[in-house]
Amino acid sequence: MGLGLGAAELLGSSVKVRKATAAQTRSIPKSPIKAATVSFLTGPAAAPFGIPGDNAYQLCAEEINKQGGIFGRKIELKSFDEAGGADANVKLARKFILEDKVDVILGYVSSGNCKAVLPLSDELGGLIIAYDCGTHVLMEKERSPYKVPKYGLGFRSSAHLGIDNIGLVRYVKQYYPGIKKVAGINPDYAWGRDSWKVFETAMKKLMPEVKVVKKLWPKLFTTDFTAHVSALIGSGAEIIHSALWGGDAVTFTKQAIGMGLFKKARMAFSRGEPYPQEVGMDYPEGQLICCAGTHYFLYPPKDKWPLNKWFVEAYHKKYNKYPSYACYHAYQAIYTYKAAVEKAGSLVGGWPSQEEISKAASGLSIETPSGILTIGEDHNGKEDVLIGISKKVKGHSFPILDPDRMAIFPAHQVNAPAGIRTEDWIKSWKA
Amino acid sequence: MENWVIYILNGLYFASFLFLTSLGLSIILGVMGILNLAHGSLFAIGAFIAAWIIGSLGAKAPVTIFFLGLFAALGLSGLMGLILETTIIRPMYRRALEYQLLITFGALLLIEDLIKITWGGTAYYASKPFDIMGNVSIGDNQYPLYFLFVMLIGIVAGLGVWLIMSKTRIGVMLRAISTDREMAKAMGIRVGRLNTLAFGIGAALAGLAGALIVPTTPALLGIGMEPLILAFIVVVLGGLGSLKGALIGSLIVGETRSIGIVFFPEIELPLLFLIAVIILVFKPEGLFGR
Repeated sequence: MGLGLGAAELLGSSVKVRKATAAQTRSIPKSPIKAATVSFLTGPAAAPFGIPGDNAYQLCAEEINKQGGIFGRKIELKSFDEAGGADANVKLARKFILEDKVDVILGYVSSGNCKAVLPLSDELGGLIIAYDCGTHVLMEKERSPYKVPKYGLGFRSSAHLGIDNIGLVRYVKQYYPGIKKVAGINPDYAWGRDSWKVFETAMKKLMPEVKVVKKLWPKLFTTDFTAHVSALIGSGAEIIHSALWGGDAVTFTKQAIGMGLFKKARMAFSRGEPYPQEVGMDYPEGQLICCAGTHYFLYPPKDKWPLNKWFVEAYHKKYNKYPSYACYHAYQAIYTYKAAVEKAGSLVGGWPSQEEISKAASGLSIETPSGILTIGEDHNGKEDVLIGISKKVKGHSFPILDPDRMAIFPAHQVNAPAGIRTEDWIKSWKA
Repeated sequence: MENWVIYILNGLYFASFLFLTSLGLSIILGVMGILNLAHGSLFAIGAFIAAWIIGSLGAKAPVTIFFLGLFAALGLSGLMGLILETTIIRPMYRRALEYQLLITFGALLLIEDLIKITWGGTAYYASKPFDIMGNVSIGDNQYPLYFLFVMLIGIVAGLGVWLIMSKTRIGVMLRAISTDREMAKAMGIRVGRLNTLAFGIGAALAGLAGALIVPTTPALLGIGMEPLILAFIVVVLGGLGSLKGALIGSLIVGETRSIGIVFFPEIELPLLFLIAVIILVFKPEGLFGR
């Protein structure tokens, strides 16, 4: 561990530029590091993920540059809009690698875009770090066990949807062991279907007595959830799983408040962390919220983890909002790159090649504002997961996670081992 | 039983939006013979205008600001309709259908970009009217009064359009154009001016529907796509250009969706197309088509 900047080092007043520690045998280019960041800057995913993620990239790059860059090279970020679909993103990524010759692509919120773009890393020889897309199949193969990594130069610097949904089931088992009925409302495409599949598989294994009473599949960007809310109320479910996101999550929550759903059931939002801040004080109490890792502006507590204090305060000062999990994911991507370059550069005595950076990144652990991130041999991030329950607390302008009912599930309980598919891993659990 | 009341109300609420959107589409199609793909963007303009006004002023201002948002959306969407008709739609009247589709699809993209330039790519929230109207109890369930308000607006707008079409001179002339364009022209009706008016009314109705939706959902780019697709189903199912068809089509689609989601959630969207296919097999011209 400790190859990335530690909290104290990052915050320290005396700034030291890291030097290649081995006898310098290779030159270090004078030009800035060219990094393309790709996020949704327009459309429904822009407000909750894309723009906050892009903001965090800017903040982190400024901080890294203030500290002297990477081996003295400043990072030059260029932001691009992810909206436009998989084909447009593939064309854009080709241009980044072949024409612009960027050092790294840091990007993508959409799982579909990640799946389309990541194969280009090996095909064209460009380093790509996927930062926020959640599908568990991105780095997994058809059958367990499989050979890792799937992509030599392709990474994901965060954990996948497995941790959210396994974490939710573990939380339900811990805090609501007596429940009998669950339901699901998930968007009708791969993200929603995969999230539910992992949740349901884990639920069957850990709480086999629980019955699934309703499964709803609204299409993406639905503006009217009244019929869904009525169906859920009628089902008698006690806990309702949902991977709804963005405007869909806000719309559903608002309409469900109006129709009294939260008086009869609890929601379990697999990536619900941004929405209390989006909805404000109207956001209902008592809802289960997963933070897509341990990404939360109040956790780890600022007195125990200064890096989170710095990140939250710097982000809030600049953008007048608390960082959402996408911001933490952006931090992870850019600092994973930095740590890998520094590790590889120290070993080779100069600026490392793409392949050397990739080798250094595999198995890397870095400190982040959320705790420790490990990049597995499968080139996928491994993280603990934080689940909590919404509560109105004096001094906050929106419900926060109840400090007394937060639960952290360690990485080994929620991430499948490298080379084993998530669903196969869950099925292998002993009841 | 209480649940069934809620299911029916949900269907009526959704049908109200569909009716307002498809009514405008149907007027434009019936009077002008233009298949307006930009109708969804006019819906979106209404949504953004209302969300911007309510969101900017609504937190401190009284609820009447909501009505200002509604009227502004109605007026500015109508104005946008007038501009569209006089600039890019008018040269298309004598052209084949594919030209209309191309030009109105181009208009759709242009308006989306205009929205992006004006309001940026982020979400606009304007839920205050929905929040402050409160709820009514129906047995063990609660139902937001705002949904009932939307139904009321749908009824008022429908009655208004019916009155204009059946009781006013302008309405008679619009119907005459819809029935036989050449004959209407020969009778001295100023078809060009009435085309502009019809397009403006249709656009204003789409804008009104967009404004009504934002208290329950954020205004986002692409917000007009779903209403556009569903309004097409309604118009085809009810009969091209028929106001009665728009009403009955909206009710069928609204109620089918509401009840379908409860009992056949796996085929939420295909169910609507299935119903449309069944009706079109037996009545290819739509329920009230000519």
